[in-house]
Amino acid sequence: MRVDFSLLLPEMLLAGLGFLVLIVDLVLPQERPERRNKAVAAVAVAGMAAVAAMALATAPDRTESVYGGLLFIDAYALLFKTLFLGVGIAVVLMSVEYVGRVIRHPGEFYGLIVFAVLGANLMASAGELLTAYIALELLSFCLFVLVGLTRGDRRSAEASTKYILLGAISSAVLLYGISLLYGTMGTTVFREMGPGLAINFSPTVIVGFAMLLAGIGFKLALVPFHLWAPDVYEGAPTPITALVAVLSKAATFALLLRFLAEVSTGRFDQWQLALAVLAAATMTVGTLTALVQRNIKRLLAYSSIAQVGFVMVGVVAMTEAGANAVLLHLVGYAFTNLAAFAVVVTVEAKTRKEEIADYAGLSTASPLMAMVLTAAMFSLAGLPIFAGFITKFYLFTAAADAGYLWLAALAITNSVISLYYYLRVVREMYISEPEVEPERIRLSPSSAGALWVLLAGTIAVGVYPGPLAAAVDAATDALRAYAGGA
Amino acid sequence: MPPVGYAVDWTAIVLAFGVGVAALGAMLAVAKLLAPRRPSAAKAIPYESGIVPTPLNWTQFNIRYYVFAILFLIFDVEAVFLFPWALIFLETASYVFYAMMLFIAVLLFGVAYAWRKGVLEWR
Repeated sequence: MRVDFSLLLPEMLLAGLGFLVLIVDLVLPQERPERRNKAVAAVAVAGMAAVAAMALATAPDRTESVYGGLLFIDAYALLFKTLFLGVGIAVVLMSVEYVGRVIRHPGEFYGLIVFAVLGANLMASAGELLTAYIALELLSFCLFVLVGLTRGDRRSAEASTKYILLGAISSAVLLYGISLLYGTMGTTVFREMGPGLAINFSPTVIVGFAMLLAGIGFKLALVPFHLWAPDVYEGAPTPITALVAVLSKAATFALLLRFLAEVSTGRFDQWQLALAVLAAATMTVGTLTALVQRNIKRLLAYSSIAQVGFVMVGVVAMTEAGANAVLLHLVGYAFTNLAAFAVVVTVEAKTRKEEIADYAGLSTASPLMAMVLTAAMFSLAGLPIFAGFITKFYLFTAAADAGYLWLAALAITNSVISLYYYLRVVREMYISEPEVEPERIRLSPSSAGALWVLLAGTIAVGVYPGPLAAAVDAATDALRAYAGGA
Repeated sequence: MPPVGYAVDWTAIVLAFGVGVAALGAMLAVAKLLAPRRPSAAKAIPYESGIVPTPLNWTQFNIRYYVFAILFLIFDVEAVFLFPWALIFLETASYVFYAMMLFIAVLLFGVAYAWRKGVLEWR
């Protein structure tokens, strides 16, 4: 079997970049950590930008697959690759100052981010369960280490331990599910599993599929597999919280959506109902628990659980409109959540504070950060002109059109409730009187630049979604179930 | 029809097991009969590479050992992969050779990294 390695060039270069980042950290003088930190971050950002440009430039016109369908190189994978590389760049930019003050291991920090992005890219390409599993583990292992990288911080160590233990259990469940499906169907390639899944309703298949969903549900923090999320979000270094919230969620959705689209050729109603129940539980629990949070990172943790529930609403529809809405929402959510985290990271790097009450007076301390965080909160709540409004609208419409009216109604109710806790942060920043006179916060050029770009993205997706919608449409056309659709 | 060879194969293993137990028992018995016996307190201590053994397995040990444990594990796993590869790489395609070289290079990079970062120094 001939393999056209040129198709995998972006992935190979990205793996090379991970090592390059580590090597740059090694060869630079160890005595000047601040300069080393900036140089390593610059290499990581420039490298990921170059890989993204190359992936876009060399993308094949039609769907290609390598290793007999193990990996797909198509418009769908390309959209996610570009998104993930962008997320990686944004996280590195927002964490330069944080790493200098808190972490002090730039090589490991940025290198592992690059490898995590590589794992996410492979998840978006994977067309076979074991390949998907290996890609998922590459991403997860990087995150396990990154979460525990604040040495000497008890919460960080606790978060990392919990994440590793629960992650290992969920991986075991996932693998057991894969083995059961392989045992009955004799294949792990998505396309070849479709006919078997449609007609075979033996207990083995049902248990196997349920275990597969549970394993993926853990990575997505779907209720009832969400209990790790708040502790990990709170304990992890804040830029890594952003990475867990955006990169690992979006990558797992990329995998889940491709899997469902490739296997659902026949009857799939039973699974649709199961997914709908998971979606309903996830968004309700996430929203209601977020109401009582005091720590901004825990608030964003529960908010991201609720957001995952909203995305699941689009997945449940299992129509092309639903898939389009999921992709659109993931892009908008990436901009919005990264904007929110960029502010939280910068505030923490400057003041070491992470309670919502500490944000009182931020509007005078840093008008730009207050504005960006306000935009992000509005967008997460789903207010018009921001990304969250238009993408949630598409998500709920898709579910309603597919006959899940109750789910759409529940999603809208949750969305309204969520307004309360998102606006509380805004009120804190603009209306509450701070206890001490706020000191003016000066932003570094890289943080300010990242904030402006993320703000622009959050608004652009909401105001002018046309070009993105076209790219999303091309991406979902590459999936078999929606090929040649409207 | 059940496979005929099944029972035959197991006979060999059962035989080998029996011979092993018998041989070991015989050796221990001969040693017990013939060897001189002068017990002392030092001889009764369990052997732990020459270090005086600690009384309980719940005692604290230095966290710095974990780096050595990890480095040892890495090379242990490397050896597990190297042995089967060494048996077949001459007969297989050339990329099998280069794949292992790449694997070793990645591991060597890890050692160089640990070295440069001062992990191998006992401070």
